[in-house]
Amino acid sequence: MIAAIKAPFIDWSALAPYTSLTVGAVLVLIAGLVGSARLRSWLVPGLALVTLTGTAVELLSRWNHPKVIISEALRVDNLTVILGLLCVAAAAFAVVLSLRSDTEDSVGRGEYHSLLLFSTIGMLILIAANDLVTIFAGLELLSIPLYVLCATELRREHSLEAGLKYLIVGSVGSATLLYGLALIYGATGSTSLPKIGVAIADTGALTDPLLLAGTALAIAGLSFKASAAPFHQWTPDVYEGAPTPVTTFMATATKAAALGILLRILVGPLLPAVDDWAPVIAAVATLSIIVGNFGALGQDSLKRMLAWSSVAQVGYLLAGLVVATSLGIGALVFYLVVYAVMTLAAFAVVIENERASDDGERLSGFAGLGRRRPWLAGAMTVSMLSLAGLPPTGGFIGKLAIINADASGGWMWLAIVLVLGSLVSLGYYLRVIATMWMTEGSAAKTPVVKQAREIVAVALLAAAVTIAAGVLPSWPLERAQDVGHTVISSR
Amino acid sequence: MSLTTYSWLVLAFPLAGSIILGLGHKVLKGKTAGAIGTSAILLSFLSGLGALRSLQSRPEESRQVVSSLWTYAHTGGLDVQFSILVDPLSLLMVLVVAGVSTLIHLYSVAYMASDEGYVRFFAYLNFFVFSMLMLVLAGNLILLAVGWGLVGAASYLLISFWYRRNTATKAGIKAFVINVVGDVGIVLGAIVIIQGTGAVDLLTVFAKAPQVWHTNDPQIVVGCLLLMVGAFAKSAQVPFHTWLPDAMEGPTPVSALIHAATMVTAGVYLIARMHPIFQIATTASDVGAIGGAVTLLVAATIGLVVTDLKRVIAYSTMSQIGYMIMAVSAGVYGAGLFHLMTHAFFKALLFMAAGSVIGAMAGEQNLDRMGGFRKVMPITYGCFIVGGLALSGIPPFSGFFSKDDILLGLGAQGGWYWALYVAGYVGALMTAIYTFRMIFRAFHGEPCEEAKSLADGRLFHAAEHRNPGDGTLEDTGVGYPGAKHHIAERSPSMSISMGVLAILATIGGVIQLPKVTNTLDHFLDPTFSDSPKFGIGIDYNLMAIGMVIGAVFGLLGIYIAWVIWVKKPGTSARIQARFALPYKLFSNKWYFDEIIAFLIVRPFAAAGRFFQRTVERVVVDGAITAGPVSIARASSAAVRSWQSGMLRAYAAAVIVGAALVVLYLMLQA
Repeated sequence: MIAAIKAPFIDWSALAPYTSLTVGAVLVLIAGLVGSARLRSWLVPGLALVTLTGTAVELLSRWNHPKVIISEALRVDNLTVILGLLCVAAAAFAVVLSLRSDTEDSVGRGEYHSLLLFSTIGMLILIAANDLVTIFAGLELLSIPLYVLCATELRREHSLEAGLKYLIVGSVGSATLLYGLALIYGATGSTSLPKIGVAIADTGALTDPLLLAGTALAIAGLSFKASAAPFHQWTPDVYEGAPTPVTTFMATATKAAALGILLRILVGPLLPAVDDWAPVIAAVATLSIIVGNFGALGQDSLKRMLAWSSVAQVGYLLAGLVVATSLGIGALVFYLVVYAVMTLAAFAVVIENERASDDGERLSGFAGLGRRRPWLAGAMTVSMLSLAGLPPTGGFIGKLAIINADASGGWMWLAIVLVLGSLVSLGYYLRVIATMWMTEGSAAKTPVVKQAREIVAVALLAAAVTIAAGVLPSWPLERAQDVGHTVISSR
Repeated sequence: MSLTTYSWLVLAFPLAGSIILGLGHKVLKGKTAGAIGTSAILLSFLSGLGALRSLQSRPEESRQVVSSLWTYAHTGGLDVQFSILVDPLSLLMVLVVAGVSTLIHLYSVAYMASDEGYVRFFAYLNFFVFSMLMLVLAGNLILLAVGWGLVGAASYLLISFWYRRNTATKAGIKAFVINVVGDVGIVLGAIVIIQGTGAVDLLTVFAKAPQVWHTNDPQIVVGCLLLMVGAFAKSAQVPFHTWLPDAMEGPTPVSALIHAATMVTAGVYLIARMHPIFQIATTASDVGAIGGAVTLLVAATIGLVVTDLKRVIAYSTMSQIGYMIMAVSAGVYGAGLFHLMTHAFFKALLFMAAGSVIGAMAGEQNLDRMGGFRKVMPITYGCFIVGGLALSGIPPFSGFFSKDDILLGLGAQGGWYWALYVAGYVGALMTAIYTFRMIFRAFHGEPCEEAKSLADGRLFHAAEHRNPGDGTLEDTGVGYPGAKHHIAERSPSMSISMGVLAILATIGGVIQLPKVTNTLDHFLDPTFSDSPKFGIGIDYNLMAIGMVIGAVFGLLGIYIAWVIWVKKPGTSARIQARFALPYKLFSNKWYFDEIIAFLIVRPFAAAGRFFQRTVERVVVDGAITAGPVSIARASSAAVRSWQSGMLRAYAAAVIVGAALVVLYLMLQA
């Protein structure tokens, strides 16, 4: 007798972003085997971009059609759509930014791009995860390609070192998370987030030591991926060592994915225990703001400075999470998007400046940039102003929304920490602006390489979006608020 | 056109001007940029006049108009419109700011003519005027904070305008940092107010405030004190004043516009604007009044001993703003704003005249080296005298009426306000002394070399160009003065703008002659009629006494200055020797820079270094496995092992962090 295996019901249309991305990643890998180097050099990135565009369209079509798919493993709702779009866009820009890098003769275009796509799939899974097992699978699928990507500049010692470092410390982070997830499963007897939620709601607050330890370890593991202090130590080294397009991808997409799933767990099943975990997140946020801002002061490497600053930015984002209201989540989502855009602008400028001169990644390489390349310096200026939270940029509105959420959620002191942290941050953001516009570069720094139009275009586009988000923030803020409502109401 | 159209045009012209100048900085040649910049501000001023006519044609109850251009953000309890509030108060500020700015732009057309950064200068200047107008027209707290921040940024750009000059960039950074501290105060204060009232719109906030807070509610006192930090930082009041004297590194028109007539009065405007809230938080208002009084005395004492021409005027500005802050904090709004207006006239005039002298001195600003310019620069001398008399409060010049109006308003309230009243008159005496000390030293006595050369018909040029601040040699590309610079005596556009201001400084008092016109008070009524101190009767006896004291003190001060610096030269050296201790205190500016360095800068620098060393390179591991010495000796292999050691530390930090989180949650439960 043949055992009847009942196939699970699969909603193919909701799964479409995942299938298309997977198929695309495989195709890109195959396209990397094409004989002609010239053909390869445009076919592979082209295919990757087509894949990402298709995924983006499919994600968009899921807006306002929340669905739980594959035996409740993935939840494709508005949060998934918005953060998924962010990750897909980050990947697409990483493709554009690496068009002229010399990955061809080191690791091969096909491998590079398909790793990028696989990592993106991991992010999409992580963001939508509705089950502890999916969380871990997503996290590993996100991380492992990134470990390799960090080390793709084979000829540069720093790059290899960054990859290795990220791998080893990352494993500790993953182990911590896995341990935490196991303990949560042990405490509640289920791996499904909604069922865990029911179990917790039955017992009231977090009293079970097993569950408490599990939650704590899970928070620690995800904070590691988001590079929040005190789990941030790897960030400056890895950001500095990795190829800059990969750094860009990590600084934007990885953070979004890690914060997305943190949000899903804490404001999902663990919401009844908000009074237990909110102080922890507030402490991590405060520590990140302090450590990140002071660490960034006096850095001479722009990539290192941006790494420290990203630690501080995660602190601001976590301050939105602490409130655990739709207001706070909306602010978090809005600021996450703005953060990704302004960071993209900054890194694009760094990449272009790196190509032009040897010390293009150092602060000294930015001296006189305003005179040499005013548009590039303009984009950098916008990005720095926005990161510092000055008007009229999106960063200003984003911080304002988070401060507003904190203040109205009873976390006034955290809002004050945020404002004071921003005050310190002016010290290093404005230094970059002053260096670009108010000092003169030596004559030897005239660009020897041809300008990369697409990189300048990305920088300018990101800067323009940053300004637009600061001048007309109404529409995106409302969408972010929608997401906040759906997250709160769907649990 | 309607009132609101006019008001939006007020904002639109300077913005358009700065954008055109910013984009066209490579194309614009000659004086085109000056013409564009000046006409943009002039058009803005004319729109302001249009708005004034339209506003006055309305009935008095409906003279507070809010107009919204678009919805800035409308989500979750945050309803922010891009809106402006047009009422007598904001319109008065618009007219003062745009009017004085027009004249200063006109002055700059000639003054900056030989500067390499001519277009850039006007682009910044237009941008500043836009920011300032946005600040005064802002219809809600968010836009107010935005304007507040933009003004600070514009001020930074203009102070550091000669960016190859070290002292200028340092001064710019100092100004910016202190202003950012003020910005934080404004933002936090705004958060407190928004939380309390649930509104951002100014008029709604004012309407709700009395229902939400009782008098001296701790919450609103804290909120108002935070706003006060912002006001004090922007208006250079003790102890947030140290940036203003250094800001004199900027070109002289900038000092005239930003650091005398407009931006530094933003704090006065803020307190007047937010008066319904400050009247609930009376403790905060008292702090403001006392702070203003302290500033006016401290600044006046420093003004007595400073030898840099522009810095004398800068300290005088601080002191005069002290009067205004004292006035508006104590509820004497009309008088405070009256003084704001007259001060804008005579102080801008003094700075412009000082610019003319500095031009004749080829950039030198030290009073010790000046002398005898009276004969060779009659226009400049005349302007200095007019400005000086107005500043010293000599009748019938404008400053006389406005200063006495403030002190009368304070005296009429009785109680401890008498202390402020006395402080005001003591300050007035010192004001007259330091003002005429400056005039006598620059224009009387033996003509200096530069004055002689001007008498021969040549404008003096220094053989080598030195920084007036620290004496270092500079390349001539750094700013002023270029080969063909101007002084007021030779340039119509400069003497015209100075002439207009001189007339205004002389007769500006007529709009508020006590008992006779009172125009300004009536004009401002719609804004301040809700104030509990509104309509306190005027004590005419006190008024008469005050006017006599004011005039006598002013004349006495001038006489003292005349005796010390003209009649018996050398007296000042004897006074210095006799009162060595106060002289040292004053000439070291009461040691505020040193105190701030000790209390704030040093701890912060130490914290920064600590973080750099400790957080950057986890100290536990670094110190044990690889001390500084072994790093220096290490071969590349050793470095690698050190780095892998780093890796262990990183992993350990993750574990320790996780353990802490677990521990906390366990203890919590």
